[in-house]
Amino acid sequence: MNPVSIIQSIPSHVSRIGVIALHAFTQLVRMKVFYFLAFFAVILIASNFFNLPQHEGPEAAGVNILRSIKSWSLGAMTLFSVVLSIVATALLLPKDVEDRTLYTILAKPVPRIDYLAGKLLGVLLLVFISLLIMNLLMTGILQIRTNLLVTDQVAMAESRGWPAEDIALLKNDILAQGPTFSLQGAVFSVFLRATIIASMALLISTFSSSTLFTTIIAFLIYFIGHFQADARAAYFADQAGTSDGWISKLITLLIALVLPDFQLFNVIDAVIEGQVMPLFILGKLTLIGLFYVVFYILASWFVFAEKEF
Amino acid sequence: MTEIPAAVEIRHLVKDFKTSFKKQPLRAVDDVSIRIMPGEVYGLIGPNGSGKSTTMKALLGLVAPTSGECSIFGKDSLKVDSRDEVGFLPENPYFYKHLSGEETLKFYGKLCGIKGAKLRERVGELLKLVDLEGASHRRIGGYSKGMLQRIGLAQALIQEPRLVILDEPTAGVDPVGSREIRDLIFKLKEQGITVFLCSHLLEQVQEVCDHVGIIFRGKMVRQGKLDDLISIEDQTELILKDASPELVAEIKALIERDTSAELVRSGKPRTTLERLFLRETRIQETSK
Repeated sequence: MNPVSIIQSIPSHVSRIGVIALHAFTQLVRMKVFYFLAFFAVILIASNFFNLPQHEGPEAAGVNILRSIKSWSLGAMTLFSVVLSIVATALLLPKDVEDRTLYTILAKPVPRIDYLAGKLLGVLLLVFISLLIMNLLMTGILQIRTNLLVTDQVAMAESRGWPAEDIALLKNDILAQGPTFSLQGAVFSVFLRATIIASMALLISTFSSSTLFTTIIAFLIYFIGHFQADARAAYFADQAGTSDGWISKLITLLIALVLPDFQLFNVIDAVIEGQVMPLFILGKLTLIGLFYVVFYILASWFVFAEKEF
Repeated sequence: MTEIPAAVEIRHLVKDFKTSFKKQPLRAVDDVSIRIMPGEVYGLIGPNGSGKSTTMKALLGLVAPTSGECSIFGKDSLKVDSRDEVGFLPENPYFYKHLSGEETLKFYGKLCGIKGAKLRERVGELLKLVDLEGASHRRIGGYSKGMLQRIGLAQALIQEPRLVILDEPTAGVDPVGSREIRDLIFKLKEQGITVFLCSHLLEQVQEVCDHVGIIFRGKMVRQGKLDDLISIEDQTELILKDASPELVAEIKALIERDTSAELVRSGKPRTTLERLFLRETRIQETSK
């Protein structure tokens, strides 16, 4: 029997990673994770009726609704993407070890890096599609509400006899709170943050033996990531007179290497307020995301390559 | 003439597992050497915890040897390409419950680089071979123990490997399922596929294997050709059919007259409980 007769080609890393990723995605979909989209739809509809504290004049009343929609939607996107990234990643690896399905996969000509990258990509595909659907829903609702608001406010301004330039300014102010490119950038930033968290959870799951441990530690690191920059700054401000500059820099670098600074993603809040997200910020976040994904995957591989089953 | 590489070559394998900090490491496998040539069916037998599964895992690169070497068709087991021509069925396998039998085989096939029409054809062949055509669209979660073993065997064979490693292939399977798996091993043997299996069912090992190794507390205590190992050199067996009592008495008298020979035992040969069970269930099935 000649094995060459059936195996058409030696699968490349990319095709094997693709097979594992699609499988991980199917596995999560069949766990019915997409049901949460129904909750998102409810949150989105409810956000239309939430009243935020209002400090501006009556002409800004409608704008608050737009902010509310963005704030609740991006908040829900953050929550779902973070939970999905951590729980799904923490679940897949220990489950394969426990069920011994990992034996059958690694007993095939599958390099361990392909297995890890495939699993991570499967989770990221799920998060991406989830965010895409949530984004479409949010953008759709926001577009409708913005159009209605522009019509109402322009009519109100005209009835009050506002000059044309002021009406144009009012219109621009409203449109800035609607679906903008910056808003799409904010959603992409939510995805980038989820990518970093998922790859971090992957690293933890390579040396942890349980889903629970991975989940708890990953959430802990996620929360630490929100104030580690402040803590670092405060600590080194105190130590500034006593310690050597290069030691401080080295420690800072090491902390930043292992624990991502999630404060960098606070730009999302600025977008909710209607500010523009500069392209270079988005580029910077993308590079940071890529760096952490590559770093965490290589670290995961380093641990997983030596792991015995 | 170049030497044909052994299908399996395990040389002086030692595997220690760390326990706690203070204790000595646990030696699971202690200087085990096994050589299996292409086309042979080798059975590794031994009690629980004797190191059978660890030996197999070392051969598949799932654990790294503390010392010693393992290779498959001349390729180092720690290298990924050594797994190109191997199929493995672990003990008590659990496959992805969310996939159907057919999807499971397709998944493993794609991992090995089989695609399109070839993959569909191969999946169909294997489902037929393991008699799961009727359950191919059912989720694995609903499979019985025997069905799981059979789909496990099918996934092991997906890329037409030259070596199949089976860890307790009949564990927990009823006698009918067990017999079916045994028949499948016979089919593999006919096709010239090398089989390396370990099992508790000694009778089955005896039936299908031509080489056997006995492992005890991590050490290989005996190995070789099955016929050589189990034949009792100083005894001869005669099995007669439709022999009259007079003929039996005459043979016995003849033996008694010989000064060096001794009659150890005579009587009716017995079938096994397994054969009896299979015969009776088959009769019941055909009488329906």
